[in-house]
Amino acid sequence: MKIEFTDTQKALQTEVREYMRDIVTDDLREEMKNPEYFEGGGPVFREKFARMGRDGWIALSWPSALGGREATPMEQYIFTEEVMASGFPYPFLTTDAVGPVLAEHGSASIRDEVVKTILQGETVVAIGYSEPGAGTDLASLTTRAKRDGDDWVINGQKMWTSLANFADYIWLAARTDPDESKKHKGLTMFLIPADTPGFSHTPVWTLGVRTNATYYENLRIPDRYRVGEVNRGWKLITGQLNRERLSLVNHGPVEALYRRTAQWAAETALSDGSMLISRPWVQHNLARVKVGLDALRMMCLKQAWAMTEGALGMAEASAAKVYGTEFFVELYRLLLEIMGQSGVICADSPGAVLQGDIEHRYRVGSILTFGGGCNEIQRDIISAAGLWMPRAER
Amino acid sequence: MDFSYTEEQQDVIKLAQQILGDQTEPAALKLIEEQRHRFDEKLWQDLAASGLLGVALSEANGGMAFGFETLCLLIEEVGRTVAPVPVIPVLVSALFLEQLGGEAFASTLADVATGKTLLSSAISEPGAEVRETPTTRAVADEEGWRLWGTKTCVPIAEHCAGVLVAAQTQGGVALFLVDPTTDTVTLQRQHVTCSESQYLMELEGTAATLLSDVAADVTAWLDALTVAYATMAVGVCDRMMRMSASYTSERQQFGVPVATFQAVGHRVADCFIDVECLRLVTQQAASLIDQGLPATDAALSAKIWTGDATHRVSQASQHVHGGIGVDRDYPLFRYCLWARQLELSAGSSAEMTACLGKRIESQFSS
Ligand SMILES: Cc1cc2nc3c(=O)[nH]c(=O)nc-3n(C[C@H](O)[C@H](O)[C@H](O)COP(=O)(O)OP(=O)(O)OC[C@H]3O[C@@H](n4cnc5c(N)ncnc54)[C@H](O)[C@@H]3O)c2cc1C
Repeated sequence: MKIEFTDTQKALQTEVREYMRDIVTDDLREEMKNPEYFEGGGPVFREKFARMGRDGWIALSWPSALGGREATPMEQYIFTEEVMASGFPYPFLTTDAVGPVLAEHGSASIRDEVVKTILQGETVVAIGYSEPGAGTDLASLTTRAKRDGDDWVINGQKMWTSLANFADYIWLAARTDPDESKKHKGLTMFLIPADTPGFSHTPVWTLGVRTNATYYENLRIPDRYRVGEVNRGWKLITGQLNRERLSLVNHGPVEALYRRTAQWAAETALSDGSMLISRPWVQHNLARVKVGLDALRMMCLKQAWAMTEGALGMAEASAAKVYGTEFFVELYRLLLEIMGQSGVICADSPGAVLQGDIEHRYRVGSILTFGGGCNEIQRDIISAAGLWMPRAER
Repeated sequence: MDFSYTEEQQDVIKLAQQILGDQTEPAALKLIEEQRHRFDEKLWQDLAASGLLGVALSEANGGMAFGFETLCLLIEEVGRTVAPVPVIPVLVSALFLEQLGGEAFASTLADVATGKTLLSSAISEPGAEVRETPTTRAVADEEGWRLWGTKTCVPIAEHCAGVLVAAQTQGGVALFLVDPTTDTVTLQRQHVTCSESQYLMELEGTAATLLSDVAADVTAWLDALTVAYATMAVGVCDRMMRMSASYTSERQQFGVPVATFQAVGHRVADCFIDVECLRLVTQQAASLIDQGLPATDAALSAKIWTGDATHRVSQASQHVHGGIGVDRDYPLFRYCLWARQLELSAGSSAEMTACLGKRIESQFSS
């Protein structure tokens, strides 16, 4: 057992860290203060993302046949960790979840038109899975696609379609077989250009971020925008969700929050002249965070290693998702307690601590416990796949 | 980065499982527990004969020199089987006697490897924090060092040829070896939760051999013992969790296995997460110790996870078992008793959290 990065891995870590310093510049930070652009989409974001494409970063883990660098999952993890820690709103779902699926299953025209531009950092794809009536039970979705000659005609509504307000495409799951008994077996995937007539969106403001409701009204697109076989879309959806899971609970960004808070507490004097960090309750919270981070870091590294070895266990992946997402919320709370009253001061207000970063994080914390496959489902997977416990019929 | 076990480590696990598995059936454990001491002499000799007692000792002392990380694999199996063998006090103490004592102890160490001699370590004092400077005092005169003080919950002290003891000298904390059979040592048997034989040990001018007066060595000794307890907790918790999974999969109420109630499945799934976290932070600490790198933060982290996970997994396991879980005719109870013991051995979660917090303060204060 050797739980340290190799020299090559360390070099990659340093390279990405330094590279991202030039990406996350003051003008980008300024642009992201606009809540419309918090998750990207502004002109500065577009410019920086395209630069990352030109510099070959987007293709990092892609196959060499597509111009990729074939990075191992461990290298991809290191990259993800550094990019996330930098604060750049990198569209991982576009580059690492949808992109490779399009490259593998898309029509020739999608590969030419879309995959290429994804690798160049010119394209952002929004995910259109959830609907008002279909969340955790995603396969119950009802957005309908009907064949009409060489085209498909799509009608329905999606909910929580993040990035749709600036995305170039929507990666859309639609029902192509109305037979209810076919649930998972009646879904097909489409890639909808956002400028297609019949597509529209309205904002949905949540506790912390903007997302969208999206509408598809007699939206007509040619068959070449279908991805994969008709009625076989479920596999493409679940394949993508699996890729997503590890990057959800990445250790780097929260480790940075811990360090920044500890540093802040060490530099912040109380009225008696002593430093905040000298208080036992502050030390207690920092220690609890550190102990939780130790486990998170090891879980992430072990999974990246297991993926590299081709031996990622389902139960372990779910355990990391549950542990990581629930620990995040706990970590925000423990760190904000250290700030006390100042922990509720938002970014850009006088007295905000660490630019209000954790104040904001706390408000988006719950999304990961119900999103990305809610934690109850993950616990079901752990007890069934990890411990062979029988499940109730559902 | 490599999380896999080496071939020799896999062999150690297999061998340990074979020897321990054969002799830790509930009936066998019950017989041992009717003795005055919860110690299986035959099993100990079998471990010696297989070479496992020397797993981490150098070849010169009759060992296999596989290192601390591999010793931990044996300890984990002892946890998994709650085998009545004192691997932690004997083998971790032997490691430090070898590292710090040098050739003077070659024959003692060779006797440890062959199962003839037992050793122990005394880390707790009544009324003192584990990681604080001990109140036990050491004074040197022409004849050598003498120790005064009281240690508590010293494992198997009555049967040992030597006990490692930390004491305060004028120059700071130091590590000593004392012979518990001399008449300046008073031992009183303590009945403790896990029913290992433990002792209140009073030292009244006891002659002692200085092993090291380097504070870092004393810390390394504490770190290694701490991680050894954490490792045993991995085995104990893993087994409790698996017993809970299999029992609830069989046990029927309302016409279905109780495991099919989502609340039950999730409680056991939470144990899985706890065990995974505990295992990983413990492996991290063991790997650092094995490589001779600074390991105190990692050891404290492992101990805090130990305190939390042993408590949670034990309570969840008892709960999902219902009455049978606390019945002394069903094997779970031993694991619960050991879980409790390990939770409070070498420092509780609260104490270790305070300790780690202080370290964080100094790390961030310039
Ligand atoms: C900010 C934000 C951004 C999002 N971005 C996107 C996006 O880009 N694209 C997209 O498609 N979706 C997106 N989502 C939607 C997200 O994926 C869903 O919220 C998630 O799948 C949960 O669905 P739901 O909200 O309908 O909750 P529900 O499915 O109604 O679940 C509510 C709760 O019910 C319980 N529950 C459900 N099923 C079970 C079960 N089997 N066992 C036990 N308990 C259960 C759980 O506690 C669960 O949290 C986003 C959501 C938010 C808030």
